[in-house]
Amino acid sequence: MDCPSDTVFILEDVNLFFGSVPILTDVNITIRQRSITSIIGPSGSGKSTLLRTLNRLNDHYPTFRCTGLVSYCGNSIYDNRNGSVDVSRLRQDIGMVFQKPCLFPTSIYENVLFGVKRLKLRPKSEFYEIAETMLRAVFLWDEVKDRLKHSANELSQGQQQRLSLARALACEPKVLLLDEPTASLDPKSSEAIESLILKLGTRLTVIFVTHHLEQAKQLSETVIFLSDGCVCEWGGVDAIFSCPDKIMTQQYLAGHAS
Amino acid sequence: MMTSVRGRGLVGRFWFLLTMLTTVLSVMLLVSVVSVMVAKGGAVLTWEFFSQPSRSFGAEGGIRSQIMGTLILAVGAGLISLPIALGTALYQSEYLSLRFQSVVMRLIYALNGVPTILFGLFGYLVFGLYFGLGISWLSGVLILAMMILPTLVVSIREAIESIPVQYREAGLALGMTIPQLIRTVIIPYSFHGIVTGLLLGLARATGETAAILFTATTFFGVDLPKSFNEPVTTLQTHILVLSQEAVHLSATSAVWGSALTLMVLVFCFSSGALVIRSRFGVKV
Ligand SMILES: Nc1ncnc2c1ncn2[C@@H]1O[C@H](COP(=O)(O)OP(=O)(O)O)[C@@H](O)[C@H]1O
Ligand SMILES: [Mg+2]
Repeated sequence: MDCPSDTVFILEDVNLFFGSVPILTDVNITIRQRSITSIIGPSGSGKSTLLRTLNRLNDHYPTFRCTGLVSYCGNSIYDNRNGSVDVSRLRQDIGMVFQKPCLFPTSIYENVLFGVKRLKLRPKSEFYEIAETMLRAVFLWDEVKDRLKHSANELSQGQQQRLSLARALACEPKVLLLDEPTASLDPKSSEAIESLILKLGTRLTVIFVTHHLEQAKQLSETVIFLSDGCVCEWGGVDAIFSCPDKIMTQQYLAGHAS
Repeated sequence: MMTSVRGRGLVGRFWFLLTMLTTVLSVMLLVSVVSVMVAKGGAVLTWEFFSQPSRSFGAEGGIRSQIMGTLILAVGAGLISLPIALGTALYQSEYLSLRFQSVVMRLIYALNGVPTILFGLFGYLVFGLYFGLGISWLSGVLILAMMILPTLVVSIREAIESIPVQYREAGLALGMTIPQLIRTVIIPYSFHGIVTGLLLGLARATGETAAILFTATTFFGVDLPKSFNEPVTTLQTHILVLSQEAVHLSATSAVWGSALTLMVLVFCFSSGALVIRSRFGVKV
């Protein structure tokens, strides 16, 4: 899907529920193309739920419900009335990396190409080249080039996370969602992921969840702060961090400043 | 610490002793069954016993045809039951809503409780008479396949349910459709459950007697079946018939030899299942 406008996601009056429990209400945000957005807020405030709404990954929970308008590149993605939404196509457009790296029980090489091969995105002759390009892009090539056929589980946690990222990038997504991508990593691997986010932000739309305020401050242009079941405040990173409007935001930022 | 807790007071000591005695009783039961069988049947277990067909109505020769027959029925049943069980388990977990899942599971458990002689009767009427297979190994295979289906479904379902949700989500997030997810994530990750279920099913089918007695087996006069509608002879039938009719001493020891062989076969399948379950079952 090509985005006609500068806006990738528009959320209008969105409410998210699990069963009858409202998780987030009255969400109204827009996300610009080729920008980096961070989602912050206390644990349990619905950061993951909001992020996963964007690629409909909550769908496999039978009790999940979403009302209001969620539009991706001008198409309402929860509206199944006229010509149902191709969820699998949507998720190919929107790559995702989770907190805990989750690789498949095969080799490093097969893992990078997992999506590309299964979805038949590219001809076979290009596979090796794609693998190399993607592994280079996540600074992993030099570490694994001699053992591409080895099991991906041999890698360290940080390497595994970079491999997950390479796997997502290999499908050439337009949007990248990351749910606390550095939360279970050592400082050095975190740094690698952070500089990757910065680099990718120039050509992709990146949206990431973090509980690490410094990370949000340094990487993102836009910040969405969730608290008490709604989007408490959102806007440019400088505005949010230097002069937040709401008391709640001030308190949260102050509490996490140390 | 432990001693003081379990031995505290008269009531505590009573329960400790009672449960210990029942445990000793069950272990002794098992030990005596095994040791009687080894003592009585161990001596006849020679290479000839395994490799020769029986002669003189079991009094002479070996049990080659019986072993083959038992394995044909069990393995055949496993091969037919496996794809059906896999399909059932996948359909439930991937497509059915939670409410219907539990309905189907209840049916499966109910099927598991049906006395095996009823499977035999049903199979005799449907496969034997209606489809004209008669008393044949194919009838037996089909009957046993039905009989072990619940065992396989339950085992595969458990394995699918134990796949961490992250793996499912990693696949979905890459844009996989459900068939792709099944092929690349669900089946590889529940493989241990599939194998465990198959082995447990094989163990059950190997030991089954009632359901195949009058539908698939004959006591004497067959070796390997040459067509679909021929019966086989099995270790189970051999034991049953010989133990009732044997007058020769050598026939009696053949019974014990057959019993021991059958027990070892069943034991191999079920301990294989145990090993796989304990090695791959919990962690993934
Ligand atoms: N599958 C689910 N079923 C029911 N409730 C859920 C489910 N997933 C998350 N929740 C609830 O939604 C709320 C927000 O969760 P989450 O989005 O994971 O928070 P965060 O990522 O900000 O820590 C929590 O109260 C959580 O208990
Ligand atoms: Mg979360």
